[in-house]
Amino acid sequence: MKLLATTTRYYLLLATLLFILGSFGLYQGVNWALRTEMGEQLAARQRELLDKARTNQLPPVALLKTLLLVSTQPQPVGFRDTLIYDAQEHEQVPHRQLTFALPTRREGTVWVTLRKSLVETEDLLGVVLAVMLGVLALLLGGTVLLNRWLASRIWAPFQRTLAALRGYDLQQHQVLKLPTATVSEFAELNQALTTLSQRLVADYENLREFTANAAHETQTPLAIMQAQLEQLLQVPALAEDPAAAPLVADLYGATLRLSRLHQALSLLSKIENRQFAHAQPVRLDQLLAEKMAQLEPLFDARELRYGLDISHPPVVVQMHPGLADSLLQNLLQNAVKHNVRGGELAVSLSAQELAISNSGLPVEGDPARFFERFRKHNPASDSPGLGLSIVQQICGYYGWAVSYSVAEGGTRHRLRIRLKPDSAVPSKQKTASLAAPNQPRNRAAPPVAMSPE
Amino acid sequence: MKLLLVEDESALRTALRSSLRQAGYVVEEAHDFAQAQEKIMLYQYDCVLLDLTLPDGSGLDLLRALKAEGSPAGVLIVTARDALDDKITGLDLGADDYLIKPFHLSELNARLRAILRRRQFQGQQQLVFRDLLVLPDLAEVHVRGELVTLTRKEYDLLLYLLANPGRVLTKEAIAEHLCGDAVDAADSFDFIYTHLKNLRKKLQEKGADNYIRTMYGVGYKLSHE
Repeated sequence: MKLLATTTRYYLLLATLLFILGSFGLYQGVNWALRTEMGEQLAARQRELLDKARTNQLPPVALLKTLLLVSTQPQPVGFRDTLIYDAQEHEQVPHRQLTFALPTRREGTVWVTLRKSLVETEDLLGVVLAVMLGVLALLLGGTVLLNRWLASRIWAPFQRTLAALRGYDLQQHQVLKLPTATVSEFAELNQALTTLSQRLVADYENLREFTANAAHETQTPLAIMQAQLEQLLQVPALAEDPAAAPLVADLYGATLRLSRLHQALSLLSKIENRQFAHAQPVRLDQLLAEKMAQLEPLFDARELRYGLDISHPPVVVQMHPGLADSLLQNLLQNAVKHNVRGGELAVSLSAQELAISNSGLPVEGDPARFFERFRKHNPASDSPGLGLSIVQQICGYYGWAVSYSVAEGGTRHRLRIRLKPDSAVPSKQKTASLAAPNQPRNRAAPPVAMSPE
Repeated sequence: MKLLLVEDESALRTALRSSLRQAGYVVEEAHDFAQAQEKIMLYQYDCVLLDLTLPDGSGLDLLRALKAEGSPAGVLIVTARDALDDKITGLDLGADDYLIKPFHLSELNARLRAILRRRQFQGQQQLVFRDLLVLPDLAEVHVRGELVTLTRKEYDLLLYLLANPGRVLTKEAIAEHLCGDAVDAADSFDFIYTHLKNLRKKLQEKGADNYIRTMYGVGYKLSHE
């Protein structure tokens, strides 16, 4: 519920309550004033009749009877309310009446009753209520209109702040830019948010630097370990001890795994930090064919039937050549890793789409989670489970949609990448290409440079 | 063959030096930019092994200096993986090849061999190992004078072994050499085994000695004995 609606609700509740009380009070007040006035009028008439009686100017009682309600029997004196049937209106009408004793010369004391209709007070009540309800309705309508106006005017800075927050992306390393607000509460809010985002950006930057430094510093000892272990394997004494060599070999293998994990993680963090601004036209069809040829022995080893279908070459995409290489490598490797012996692997590439489908064991779980980091189907596997995560990051970087589907009872897996950016993403691409001039050494490389041959 | 090894990490330099000396190279070292620059100016090398990240300068500047001087030396760049753009720039500047840290020493040997072969013999050369003769330009393999027909991968494998005679080659290094880097080790050992088995069979059919030795649990070795 909106803040304004909430406050208005209480405000209107109070207003209604006050209006009820007010109407009641007003009615009572006006009613009391009218009755008092009525009583005064009756009393004045009484005084007039008594004066006339004293000065003997009264008409005879018989004549009086035609004008007034006169009784020769003693009646209770004083003011009273009574209901009289009105023959014309066909209803009981409330009256105020005053009964008093009137001494006359000729016929002795008679009791006179003066009456006045109170019917006007009911009309009055109607008028009072109508006026009050009218004002209440005006107030309600007015409040709603006022709120609309307020919402669009006074709350506008707040809405702007909210929009800025929604669109905020820490990975762009920008401090939140908020317009200055005239309302002091909003100004304070904006200031607090700006301070917060400054701190966040600084922390993020520190963390990023730390990660980058840590990654870089880890690389060197890993390279040393790998080189020294390889040298250790050459020591002739090692060949004489059949137990020692496999130990060193295992150590060597573990070092390689560690360095591969390290490479994958730093690649991921670099993509997240948008450090691959340098995009150039990449012949995806050539690169794909090259990669397939390179992995051929791996396909053969698993006795896979494989096929590559490229419709309408050349397929050229704008991307970082290193990322293109990594993308295809991870996709193909994933398709081999999750394949079965003697299975199938089909790759098709068109200008719109890259699709890889492979046979494999049925998998359980939510397909969306396959892209999570360190996710692997076989927990005993040597691979750290970062392949698909890297695929997703690279595609996300260029705004391509990745979809996974499964068919034939869960044994045919299909990954599709739409090679056109989503409509929502060009802004990101824009930042990527805008960042390019900051990298002075970016130049095009011959495509052959990407293959480690 | 005289090499200049430019590497700032002393432990890595030591390992590289001993590996390269085992492979029969004369190795000179430089541990920073200034020293490397001095040596490049003073001496001639057949190949420079160049680490791009040096404490007092960029290896790319050394590469520029080398090329500006018209040096005939081959250049093999060694970069960190995250410096992809540097690698591209390096190749543009005229480096012969690149290696990404961390790398297999046996891979380094293979790359160096290829560079030196391309640069110095202009292709007119042959590789001889015991009763084996390889003509790289014709991609021909002869055993005791008889031609052996090998598949592409078997041939690559043999060249890799020949680039590292007497050296223990790990399964991982062979797998990466044949399948490109970052291949999952466990997946690829089967095919190395298959290819090696076929290669051995083809060589022995022509009467070659069994010099491709299996190092149990480690890898393979092209043995002199």
